[in-house]
Parts: sequence; C-alpha cells; structure tokens
Amino acid sequence: MQARILEFAELLRHHGLRISPAESLDALSGLVHTGLNDREVVRGTLRATMVKRLVDVPVFDELFEAYFSALGQAIRETAEGAGEALGQTLEEMRELLAKLEEMLAEEGVELSDIARALMAADEGVLEQRLREAIEEARGEAEGKGRFRPGAFANAVGSAFGMPQLQEELEGAADAVEEAMEGDEAARLREMIRQRMGDLQEMMKRAAAIERTRNEEKKRDDAGLGPIGEKSFYYLTEEETREMKEAVARLAQRLRNVVAVRHTRTRRGVLDLQRTLRQNISYGGVPFDVRFERKRRHKPQIVVLCDVSDSVRNVSRFMLQFVYALQDLYSRVRSFIFVSEIGEVTRLFEENEAGQALDLSLRGDVINVFAHSDFGRAFKDFHSEHLGSINRRTTVIILGDARNNYNLPHEWAVRDIQSRARQLIWLNPEAKTTWGFGDSEMDRYRPYCDMVEECRNLNQLYRVVDRLLLA
Amino acid sequence: MERFAEQRYICSRAIATVVYLASEMGKPILIEGPAGVGKTELAKVVASATGHPLIRLQCYEGLDEAKALYEWEYGKQLLYTQILKDKISEVLAGATTLDEAVERIGQQDSVFFSERFILPRPLLAAIRSEEPTVLLIDEIDKADPEFEAFLLEVLSDFQVSVPELGTIEARSQPLAILTSNNSREVSDALKRRCLHLFIDFPNREQEQEIVRLKVPELEERLAAEVVSVVQRVRKLDLKKAPSISETLDWSKALAILNVESLGEAQVRETLSTIFKYEGDMRKAETELREFVARKKAAAETAEGPKPPADPKDDVLH
Repeated sequence: MQARILEFAELLRHHGLRISPAESLDALSGLVHTGLNDREVVRGTLRATMVKRLVDVPVFDELFEAYFSALGQAIRETAEGAGEALGQTLEEMRELLAKLEEMLAEEGVELSDIARALMAADEGVLEQRLREAIEEARGEAEGKGRFRPGAFANAVGSAFGMPQLQEELEGAADAVEEAMEGDEAARLREMIRQRMGDLQEMMKRAAAIERTRNEEKKRDDAGLGPIGEKSFYYLTEEETREMKEAVARLAQRLRNVVAVRHTRTRRGVLDLQRTLRQNISYGGVPFDVRFERKRRHKPQIVVLCDVSDSVRNVSRFMLQFVYALQDLYSRVRSFIFVSEIGEVTRLFEENEAGQALDLSLRGDVINVFAHSDFGRAFKDFHSEHLGSINRRTTVIILGDARNNYNLPHEWAVRDIQSRARQLIWLNPEAKTTWGFGDSEMDRYRPYCDMVEECRNLNQLYRVVDRLLLA
Repeated sequence: MERFAEQRYICSRAIATVVYLASEMGKPILIEGPAGVGKTELAKVVASATGHPLIRLQCYEGLDEAKALYEWEYGKQLLYTQILKDKISEVLAGATTLDEAVERIGQQDSVFFSERFILPRPLLAAIRSEEPTVLLIDEIDKADPEFEAFLLEVLSDFQVSVPELGTIEARSQPLAILTSNNSREVSDALKRRCLHLFIDFPNREQEQEIVRLKVPELEERLAAEVVSVVQRVRKLDLKKAPSISETLDWSKALAILNVESLGEAQVRETLSTIFKYEGDMRKAETELREFVARKKAAAETAEGPKPPADPKDDVLH
C-alpha cells in the first residue's frame, strides 16, 4: 500500500500539485490512523494531507477516481448490470451459486477460487486478480514499446486465465445440465454465460483505463513549458485560463513582497518629542520608545491600453495585473483606445477584470473595429484628460505603436510626460521589429522614461515590480 | 459525527475524517471555504463536543506577536519596582562601587522577567493551559504574511520562544483550527504543516437537515422550498452567493412572519435576508419569479385549477 500511495503522490506531482515528502508522510501516517476500509475516509485523508490548494481539488478528485477505484467500479457496475440482465439481485445470484457448488460437489467437481469469485461477484478477489493480470500485461506492452487497447485486453485476459476459466465454467454448466433439468439449469447456464460476458467487459474497461493512464503519462512526459515564458500572442483557451490564475498568483506574491518591503522601510528615526511625552508617566525613564513613521506614497497609475486586435491579449493581462494590485496604488485610472479613447475605470472597479474587459470591448465605450490611430488617441487624451495627470502619476501606455501611417502627434506624449512622474511604454512586439513598417516606436521613444518589451508574464511581472518601487 | 449532531452541527464524512485525523496526528487544520458555511462554527462545535475550552484568536491586519502571544506587563513591573524600592536599597546597601551595584541588580534580573509579569495572549494561553484546548485562529488570511511565518513555530512544535525566559513548551497539545476566507492565498509553508479542509456549500439534503435542526419551528415543507430556492440561487452568477447562515436567517424570518407557503410577495419582502448586494437582488428576482410561477403551475395541475390565494393574506397578520 505504501508504494501505491507514494506512486499516487508522484502522479499528483506530475499534474502540477506541489506535494512535499513531509506531506506524503502525513498521508501515510494518517492512513495508519483511519485504516483502509472505507473509500471515502481514505479519500478524505489523502485530500486533507496532500491537497492544499483549492484549484487542485478537482484534479485530485479525478485522479483519485482514476487511480484507486476505476477497476473496482468497473467490477461493481458489471456485477450490477448482470443482476439486472438476469432480473436478480446479488443475493439471489449468490444463493444460486451456493446451489451450484453443492451440486458440483456431488459430482466430485470443485470450482476454482477465481471462478467462485466471478460468479459471486466478489469485488475484492476479482480486483486483486485483475490488477495482477494488468501488471503482467503492462510489462508485456512496455516490452513491445507501443500500446493497442485490443491487444492489451487480450493480454490481460490470458494473464487472468480467461481460457481456463471459460473451460471450467463450461464444464460446470454441462455438469449441471446432466444433474438436473428444467428451469434451474437454464437459469444457471444463463448466469454463467452472462458472467463470462461481464468478464470480457471488465477486460475491455481495464484496457480503457490503462489507455487514459498511458495518455496522461505521455502528456506529463512532454510537459507544458513554463507558462511564464509563453508569449501572450499564442494562447489557447486553456492557457488563457491558466494565465489568469498565474497572473493572480504573481500579483499575490508581489503583494507579499511589497508588504515586507514597507514594514522594513516604514520605521524611521527616534521621535524624541513623542518618546518624552509618552514616558512622563514613567518618571521620564524612556521605557516606551517611539519612532517616526515614514509616510508612504502610493503611486497613482494611469493606464492607456491599445485594444486593437493585435494586442488585445496583452492588454487583458496587463489590466488584470494592475487591478489585482489596485490596493497598492492610491488611484488607478484606465483608458482604452483604438482610434478613439474612452475611460473604463468604472467598469473595472465594478466588475472582475476579465468581465470588465469584455464589457469594455463590446463597443459601447469606443469603436473597437476602427483602425489603430495612436496619434488621434493621444491628441484626444491630451485635450480631455491632461488635467488628471500630476507629479505623482505614473502613465503606462500599452501598445505596439503600429499607427497605420496616421499622424503620430508625438507632442501629445511629450506633454503628458512633462506633467507626469514617469511615462512607461510597454510594447508587446519583439524589440527587433520596432521602427519597421508602420511602427512609430522610434518617434515616441524620446518622450518615454522607459520603453520595455512585454511579451510574456515574466516580463510583465518585472515591469509591475519596478512600478511599485518607484 | 453523532457527537457533532448532538451539538447541532451537520457535517459530511470528509469533515469528520479530517477532525479525527487532526486529533490523532496532532496537526492543525486549515479550513477554507466561502463565508458563512460554518468554518468558525466547526471549531466551536469541536470544542464543546470534546469538552475542552475554546481559545479564540481573531486575526486582522496589523496583528503582531504582542497581541497574539504575550506581552510584558510594564506597568506591573514598574509598580513592583516602586513598592520594592526599600528592598532594592537594601540589596544595594553594602555596594561601594557602581560596578558592584550593577552586579547585584543583575543577580535579581530574573525576578522582573519571570512568568509573573508576562501577560499571556491567546497563543501562549493555549500552550500553557493545563488541559488540552481547542485553539481557533480565525481568518488567518486577514493577518499579515509575516504573522503567518511566526505561527509556524507555534503550530508545528507547539512551543514558544520568549527571549527572556527561554522556550516554553506546550503542557498539553492544543487542537489548532485555522480558518481562511481566501482573501489571499495562505503561504505554502503554513499549508504544508496543516491538514487542509475545504468546506463548500452543502447539498440539498444536508442543508435541509441543517435548517430543520436550527429552525425547528419552520414547517418541513416550507423548509424544503426555502432550501431549493437557495440552492438554485447559488447557481446564478452573484457577487456574494447566499450561504448557510443566510439560509438560516431567511428561514428564521419566515418562521417569525408565520408564512405558510412561499409566494411572490413574501419572497420579495424577505429577500434582504439572503442578498447583501443590490445587484444580486435584481439578478435573483427574475429567477425567483420563475420559481414561484412554476410552483403555482405545479400546484394547479396537482390539485386541479383553483384560484391562487391572495399572497397578501399570508403576510399581513
């Protein structure tokens, strides 16, 4: 059992759960206390000791099913199916079996253990034998180096001793036929036939389970590169979801870092006045020492996001990241533009980031189907919102600067920069392509305090980290 | 589980398993889940079921060791020094040099930093207690990340280091229960030391049983209706899904109003007990209207067409 638990832990690790050796040990010692009799209790024990994150629970549940009970379930289901097909309950079947054995004993024939287990639908024995057979067949399949479900089912069958079993039961059926006539014999024969069919079904299921196992293993071996380095441009739907989680996790990590940083820097020098006043009651003995507290200035942020098709994904994560950290800034205002510019701050304050972005992209705020025109967007911003920018504001512009050969109006950016604390441009395009074609990056660059390539999560993280230091 | 039921707490096998494991293995439990599903309640119930005293530490931003663990009672120390002034002069009487005086005072050091002057806060109280206790650390996610790190020593070894006194070890190991509302992710190091338990909204049967247990005055059939409405509402995309405590509030409200059956008017008037946001309420209203309409239709087909009773009759008495 120990080996199986450890193997299960290994499997969980392959699926992205972080399980330390200490936790596997906990799982084992927990099982010592609870025992292995009740499946639900075992599941509860493993879950409590190994799964510590909410997002991992579904993964755990699925793997637990697959790993610990798929076979048992297959056996149970076929047994129930057999009962239904014969119109009998399990008890009645077992009664019938007892009768059969009695009869066979009279004839001088004795059923083998496995045959009895099959007829009585004894899950424990069947599962044990089936597992052994699978183990054997697996070794064989690995030797061949490829996996075919049909062949695998056959291999399991022969390892299980299907042919012998078939023969034995046929013989038993014949013996019964000779010994008695009528209804009873027909029913017994029917039951035997049914159970043999079930056995076949079990083999098939075992092969199917084995196949999913194989596939999962293959996927694990291939591995999904670290999501942090993945470019925002090429994301499948699955990865978008994953990315969202990663963004949230990163934001949390950053928040923790910032918290520590702040407590470290917040304590200032000795505040003499307050210390003296505080300690008058102690006769002037400075018992309770007071320090000056540095006031911390939270940065203000204004985000201008290009949401044209080409960079929408990046904007999405940028906005999500910024808003996940909203409490670290004193104020965040966000604008989106393609050629018109519109403010979406409210949308993001009232909704979850992904949803807010969907709302803002519906076309109510700005026309999202226009051609990118950075010049016009900046000019509009300049005339309408320049007043909102002061010496504490950090302006972040996110866009590829592909202006469709419109007027760039770089003077607007210059004015914004001169009013703001700093202006940062994040470009989701590779550095090597800046300035080619209709990219106006080089025209805007002189007016930016910082221009960064921002193609993946790690780069985004670095940028936001630097923002908080500023 | 039976002992829990006696304490009027309905729980699943998973919960019972984890609590059993925690008491056997001496590990803390970290409970996560939406607000109002009975995380804190579980700790209270464990305490009363085992008969051990419950020591509660409510976490909040800025909580530090001084408030969680112990504090020196400066006032008391100063008071003692004042009162014992004569005695101190006595001790210093024969000293000729300053060095000698300091040396003599130094010998008395331990008098002032002894357990006498320590003010135990919840954590120290739990550890120093003679009999085993249930230690509830509520809403750990509200505390600062640094505080978590500080908890590690307490929770894994059940000991506390006080620089002036040395290490104080637990006389009896408390059963620690931590709860978190997931407003931020608890650190991995802490999670690794805990058994993890996730309590979700209960299923229909469990919830019905809970309502029956906690609000026995509510009619069975009505309770079933309440539960099925809440279960449906939970599936909507709400800012704050109603949890068990809200179900119970609603049930109590209906019981107080003597409502006999859920009609549109009653639902609307008592809606504020289960929804905490204006937007949620609006969203749910359509769903509820549908529910009431369907119920009416079902009643008509079952009992033959009859004029629907004026819903106002039920409420305004």
